[in-house]
Amino acid sequence: MRNRLLFGRSIETGSWIHPIDPRAKLTGMVLYLAALLLVDSWIPLLAAAIFSLIYMKMTLIPLKYYAKAAKPLWVLMVFIFVVQTLTVDEGRLLLEIGNVTVYAGGLSRGLISASRMLLLVSFTAMLTFTTTPGLLNQGLGGVLAPLKKIGVSADRLTLMMGIALRFIPTILDETHKILKAQAARGADLKELPWLEKGKLLVSLLVPVTVSAFRRAEELVLSMEARGFIIGEPRSEYHKLVWSTKATGFVLSFVVLIAIVLVLKLVLT
Amino acid sequence: MTEEQPAYHVQHVSFAYSPEQPVLSDLSFSILPGSWVSLVGPNGCGKSTLAKLLGGLLAVNEGMIEVQGIHLSSATIGKLRSHIGMVFQNPDNQFIGSTVEEDIAFGLESRCIPREEMKERVHSYAEKLEIGHLLSKHPAELSGGQKQRVAIAAILALEPDIIIFDEASSMLDERARGELLDILRGMKEEGRYTMISITHDAEEIMASDRAIVLSDGGIAADLTPWELFQDDQLLQACRLIAPYPVRLEKELNKLGITVPQEIRQSGEVEDRIWPLILKK
Repeated sequence: MRNRLLFGRSIETGSWIHPIDPRAKLTGMVLYLAALLLVDSWIPLLAAAIFSLIYMKMTLIPLKYYAKAAKPLWVLMVFIFVVQTLTVDEGRLLLEIGNVTVYAGGLSRGLISASRMLLLVSFTAMLTFTTTPGLLNQGLGGVLAPLKKIGVSADRLTLMMGIALRFIPTILDETHKILKAQAARGADLKELPWLEKGKLLVSLLVPVTVSAFRRAEELVLSMEARGFIIGEPRSEYHKLVWSTKATGFVLSFVVLIAIVLVLKLVLT
Repeated sequence: MTEEQPAYHVQHVSFAYSPEQPVLSDLSFSILPGSWVSLVGPNGCGKSTLAKLLGGLLAVNEGMIEVQGIHLSSATIGKLRSHIGMVFQNPDNQFIGSTVEEDIAFGLESRCIPREEMKERVHSYAEKLEIGHLLSKHPAELSGGQKQRVAIAAILALEPDIIIFDEASSMLDERARGELLDILRGMKEEGRYTMISITHDAEEIMASDRAIVLSDGGIAADLTPWELFQDDQLLQACRLIAPYPVRLEKELNKLGITVPQEIRQSGEVEDRIWPLILKK
């Protein structure tokens, strides 16, 4: 139950990273992703991991929060590890059971891929940890603004994002309530066989969807009553300020990419 | 706005979502600026629909609504919107921002108010509603009563002349309801707002100046709250119970005791009675 609260929630610690322009953070995260995609051996991975840990420490947010952020994706990481381990056949043969073979190269590839995933998910959680959803949204609007030239309205996208982020915890809460109501009438999800579980989930979907629509309708009324008209000009409550720290933040990720590239070149 | 110009002038208004099922038929009334009117009636009598019509969220089928002398229509709603604020029933579904601060700012942003003024209004209205310490909180961290305070702050920050409360207290617990009522009383005393509240809460009705009783899409009665609570038939039709002081006075009347006007108005009847019982 407490885990859901982590979704899209900022944790204020007063670090120097918190007040950085969200546009810089978004750019940094994209560059980080690019750096990770370049990582394919242990030493660059180590460099990326050290870089990530230093940044995580600098946010003053306990590392266990980052670990928690990565936890929901453990199945995916295990999956990536298993697939890579079993399909890559380089290096020494380590294990052979029937058709299944595990090579040293495959094992190392699998571990590297899974670690990259772990780094990516936990590190990018920094974005939501250090930025309030409203600011993040405004930053996203800033980053997406050039899309207007090809006819995509960034305002609508960010409005949708903002409302989704705002209502996910509320709707999850409601889902729990309905689950409990069903359990109280004898249909306890925990005790049912798998097939029945599936059926119950369908019957859960109906009330949750209906109530989400009702909420949406009330939300629209409330937005309209407060003078919101889509596409109309609005003033912005938060002012995005691009500081020198923001430039430094983005540059540090460029440096990370450079380090990874240099290490790759040196090692091959 | 002159003194004579009514805040609302409703003439022969009818409304139906579909032609077979009329919701409101031929309503006419006026609301004076600075007054506080309760709209009461049983569930399904069209109160909320009327609130949406008055707030310009729905358009009338027939008749006319004038707001401060201006005909409310799709052409004028943009301009009139800034005079009308609405607070709805479910505190969760009117919380648009991700934090209290952003939610109060939402309407101000829509109105293109400069940043400095926005900051000032957000802080001053948050302080006024005693939510200044909650500005950075996410709605999931707030109680229902706190969320409803945020909703009111968000509306007051827009500085409207007219505020419509659509069952704003019905999802709150007893204590939060009492606090909300205190806020409404405070607003009434300020005198700058015309207030319309749709409510089932006897205390809230009692605190207002006037009660319009809706029934079957029409106006069943238009009277003072005091008169409403004397009329047992009307109370039963609206499924209302009179507040305690009113019931107490009725019982006293049955015993042949009349309560002097000045004591009734100050709400001190109980305070006068209990020392008498203690003395016995």
